[in-house]
Amino acid sequence: MKKFWRCYVCNDIHYGVKPPEVCPTCLVKNAYVEISSAEAGTIMGPTRKTMSRAEFRQAIERFCEKNEFQVCPDTAKVEMLLDGMFANEQNHGLKYCPCRLVAKDFNEDLKLVCPCNFIAHETYKGKEDGECWCGLFVRRKK
Amino acid sequence: MLVRAFCKEEKMSKLIMFHALECPHCKAMMPHVDRLENEEKIAFEKLEVWHNDKNADLMRSYRPVIAPKCGGQLRTPTFFNPESNDVICGEVSYEKLREWAMKQA
Repeated sequence: MKKFWRCYVCNDIHYGVKPPEVCPTCLVKNAYVEISSAEAGTIMGPTRKTMSRAEFRQAIERFCEKNEFQVCPDTAKVEMLLDGMFANEQNHGLKYCPCRLVAKDFNEDLKLVCPCNFIAHETYKGKEDGECWCGLFVRRKK
Repeated sequence: MLVRAFCKEEKMSKLIMFHALECPHCKAMMPHVDRLENEEKIAFEKLEVWHNDKNADLMRSYRPVIAPKCGGQLRTPTFFNPESNDVICGEVSYEKLREWAMKQA
């Protein structure tokens, strides 16, 4: 079960089954202590802000850089998908994939937040022209 | 004959297309759906699911039937016959959609 962990040196928050051995921010070893989700929320609270469309676009471009996929070159398609994701974030809380529907089961629905784990999906895995279900991410041409 | 044709049309109009406003696959399928309506008189009830809670709840109510045939999830577009529970999802060719829709008659 995933838990929240806090670096006692720099207050980095980690969410996972176990904490990182080395804090990626302050590089201190064995610095994480388990905390409650409420405490994690309070620590992260002041930094809570939504991401602009341009910032999200940059984030997914950076996400693709060291991977075998890229953002779809069809700009109109990407813009439409971003419209959907940002509408979903505003109306439903998270950037859910506009081409699927939430089941109203929080943990299940986390699988629909963009970028999702599309590498394992049948629309991508083992396909030369693979793409995620909505088509935002496509396999890079060799 | 007229009655049979009417019944056929009635039954066909019960086909549902679950779609989403910002889904490119749904957008791509709309001309196929319009063509089926015009050329084959096959009508779909088009239900948008991200901006309409009632439609979303309806699609979720069919999750046990739809999800196993659509990669374990509720995906758009999904073409669904609530009478037979027959499903086809995703972006497909006009011919494939037509074949599926005609089978529902």
